Amino acid sequence: MSAVLRPSVEDLRLIGFYLGRVLTGLGLLMLVPLPLAAVLREWNALSALLLGAGIALTLGALADAHLRSRRQLGWSHGMVVVALAWIVGSAVAAVPMHVSGRFADPLAALFEAASALTTTGMSVINDLDHLEASMNLYRHLLQIAGGLGILIVVLALFSAGGSRVSTLYVSEARDERILPNVLRTSRFIARVTVAFGVAGTTALAVALLAAGFGPWRALEHAVSLFFSSFSTGGFSVMQSSMIAYHAPAVEVVVLLIMFAGMLSFGLHHAVWRGDVAEVRRHVETRTLALVGTSLLVLLTVGLVRSGTYGDVTAILRRGLFTLVSAISSTGHQVNAGDTYLSDWGVLAPAALVGAMAIGGMASSTAGGIKALRVALAVKAVVHDIRRFLLPESAVVVTTYHVGRRRILRPDVSRAATTVLLLYVVSFLLGTMVALTYGGLDVTQALFEAVSVGANIGISIGVVQPGMPSWLQLVYVVQMLLGRLEFVAVLVLVGYLLSFVRTPRRRRRPS
Amino acid sequence: MSGAAGTSGGAAGGTVGPRGGRTRWALLGAVALLVALVGLASALDRAAPRAERSAPAIADLPAPVLDAPIPCRRSDPDEVVTALADRLRPGRITAAIVVACPRLFDGREVVHVGEVVGDVLRRDGGAWVTLNDDPYALELGPFGAHRERAGFNTGLSVWLPDGLHEDLGPAGRHGRRGAVLRVEGVLRRADPADGGGLTVRAVSAEVLAPSTPVTAPVDRTLATAAGVAALTAAAAGLHARRRRRG
Repeated sequence: MSAVLRPSVEDLRLIGFYLGRVLTGLGLLMLVPLPLAAVLREWNALSALLLGAGIALTLGALADAHLRSRRQLGWSHGMVVVALAWIVGSAVAAVPMHVSGRFADPLAALFEAASALTTTGMSVINDLDHLEASMNLYRHLLQIAGGLGILIVVLALFSAGGSRVSTLYVSEARDERILPNVLRTSRFIARVTVAFGVAGTTALAVALLAAGFGPWRALEHAVSLFFSSFSTGGFSVMQSSMIAYHAPAVEVVVLLIMFAGMLSFGLHHAVWRGDVAEVRRHVETRTLALVGTSLLVLLTVGLVRSGTYGDVTAILRRGLFTLVSAISSTGHQVNAGDTYLSDWGVLAPAALVGAMAIGGMASSTAGGIKALRVALAVKAVVHDIRRFLLPESAVVVTTYHVGRRRILRPDVSRAATTVLLLYVVSFLLGTMVALTYGGLDVTQALFEAVSVGANIGISIGVVQPGMPSWLQLVYVVQMLLGRLEFVAVLVLVGYLLSFVRTPRRRRRPS
Repeated sequence: MSGAAGTSGGAAGGTVGPRGGRTRWALLGAVALLVALVGLASALDRAAPRAERSAPAIADLPAPVLDAPIPCRRSDPDEVVTALADRLRPGRITAAIVVACPRLFDGREVVHVGEVVGDVLRRDGGAWVTLNDDPYALELGPFGAHRERAGFNTGLSVWLPDGLHEDLGPAGRHGRRGAVLRVEGVLRRADPADGGGLTVRAVSAEVLAPSTPVTAPVDRTLATAAGVAALTAAAAGLHARRRRRG
C-alpha cells in the first residue's frame, strides 16, 4: 500500500463531479413515474418521488457547478466513481422508498434500492400488493437502469466524447466494447433495449389481455415485467411473482425476454449485423448450452424423484422456467419460495444453486460468475493437464472464441479464476453469516447466499421484512460486490485505506 | 474479469496532499450529507399521518388449522407427513401453513379466507384469483392510511368456477381492499390444470366483506418537503448553468 499515493482534493473533485452526473441521472429517473402518480392521484408517492428527485438533482447540480476539474479520469478514479456510484446511488434511490413507510428502517430501504439497482430482485417491502402503481414502476425502472449499468445510462444521456469515460464503462464490470467508441457502445445498448422493450412489452400486453387482464392493468404489468425480465432483475408487480398470472403464454414471453437479457450485448450486436454464426461459435453460448442442458436434466431427474408433479408438462413448465430464471439471474418465481425446500427434493434445488452461481453471459445484464469465466477456468485447467501430458518441448496453445478466435493467455485465465474464486468466497461468507441467524439449515443459507451474491433473487424465505439488520447489511455488500464483480469495490477499499495508511507529505518550505 | 483489473494504473492520480485538511473535510462533508439524508427521510417517515387501520378487521374468522406452520423435511417419508394430519384441527388454512408442508394438504378439503388482490382473471368456466390471508387482508387493511408494517403478503391461488366470481367487485390494490372471501374447496399441491401450481379449487364461496375503497390521507409534511426539494433543485440547476456560462 505504501506505493499508493494519497488522493488529493483534486482527485475527490473529479470523483465528486462524475458522481454528481450519476445522481442527476437517478434524479431524472425518479421524475419518470411522476405523471403516472399524478394521473392516478397517488399524492404521497408523488411527493416521495419528487423529494428523492429534488435531492438527487440538487446534489448533481452542485457537483456540476463546483466540482468541475481539468484532470482526466484515471483507472483508479474510474473504479472509485463506479463503486461509489452504486453505493451512493443506492442510498439516494432509497429515499423515496424510505419515506413511503413500507420499510422497517433506512437499511431496509437501502436493501431494496441496492437489490433493484444490482438487479438482484430480492425484496423486503411490506404489503407490495397494495403498493402505488407509480412507486412500483419506480422499483422496476431502477432495475432496468441498474441492469444496463447506471453509468451506461448516464453516459448515453450526458457524456460528450473526448473525456476518458471508457474507464467508467470498463470499471462497471463490462469488458466487451462492442463498438470502437464507448459512447456509441452505450447508445447501441440503449437501442437494443428499446427494440426489445417495444417488442417484449407488446407481446406481454397481448398475452396478459388473453389471460384476463384489463387493458390498463395489462399495460402496467407488461411494462414492469419487461423491465424486470430484460434487466434480469426479477422484481414482480405482485408478491406472488409469476404465480399470479396462471398463463403459459405470459411465462413463455417472459422466458424469452429473460433469455435475451442474459445474452451479451456483443452477441446482440453480432446478430444485429447478421452474423448469426457468431452465436454458434461464441464460447459462452456453447458453455451455457452445455451447462444449461446438464442442469435441466439434473433438475428434471430431481423433480421426478421428488414425486411432486404428476405429469411431464408440469415438470417442464415449472422446472424449465425456474432454471432459466436462475441461470439468467432474473429470479422470477413460479413457486412459493418455501416449496423449493419442502416439495422439490434435494437434487432439483442443488441444480438451481449451480445455475444461480454460474449465471448468464459477461457484458450482459445478468449476474453470477458468468459463463465466460467458467469456460476460461475450465479451459485453463485442461490447458495445464495437456501441458503435463505432452512432451516438455511441445507448445500448448488453447483458444476460445469471443467475437474472434483468441489465445488463452495466462493473465486472462488468472483473472477469470480469481474472480470465480472471489464469488465462491462471497457465497461461503454469506452462508456462514446466515447460519449464525439461527433456525436455518445449510441448504437454506447456501441457497440464499448464492442467490444474493450472484444477483439472482430467488428466495426460499430467508430474505423478508424483519430479517436481522446485520444479515441485511451483509447481503447488501454481497449484492454490490457481485454486481461490480469485486474489482471496483476492492479498489474503493484500497482508496479509503490510503487515507488512513499513507503518510501525508510534509509541506515544502517556500 | 474486467479488463480494467489488469490495466489499473495504481496511483490515485493526484498529487500527494499538502492540503490534507481539505481532503478530510471534503470526506467528512460527504458523510455528513449522507447522515442528514437518512435523518431527513426517517423524520419524514415518522411525521406521516397514520390511523390504527385502513379497513375494518374481519370478524368471526375461523381459527387456523395449526397454531404455527409445521415444515416438512424433504427426507420425511409420506407416512410421517400423513401422521401430522392428526394435529390438524377444524378451521382455515393459511398460505404460510400450506407452503411449509404442501404434502400434508394435498387433496384435502380445506377452508381458506382471504382478500382478492391483483386481478380477477376470468377464463372459460371460471376465474383465477389470489386470496391473501396476511394481516393487511384480514386485520389492518391496506398499508397507507395505517403504517403498521406486518411483513410480506401471503396468499394462495384459488380457482372459482362460474357462479362464484361474478360479484367480487374490483380486486384489492392501492386505494382498495378487495372482497374478503371464505372459500371451501380442495387443495392441489401440483394442480395439472395450472401446470403444476399450488391451488385451491373452490366449490363454494361466501363474501365476508365487500370490495371497498380505502383512502390514505395526504401527507402534507412530505408534500412540503418535496416542494422545497424541487425548488432547491431548480435553483441549483440555474446556479450550475450560470457557472457553466460564466
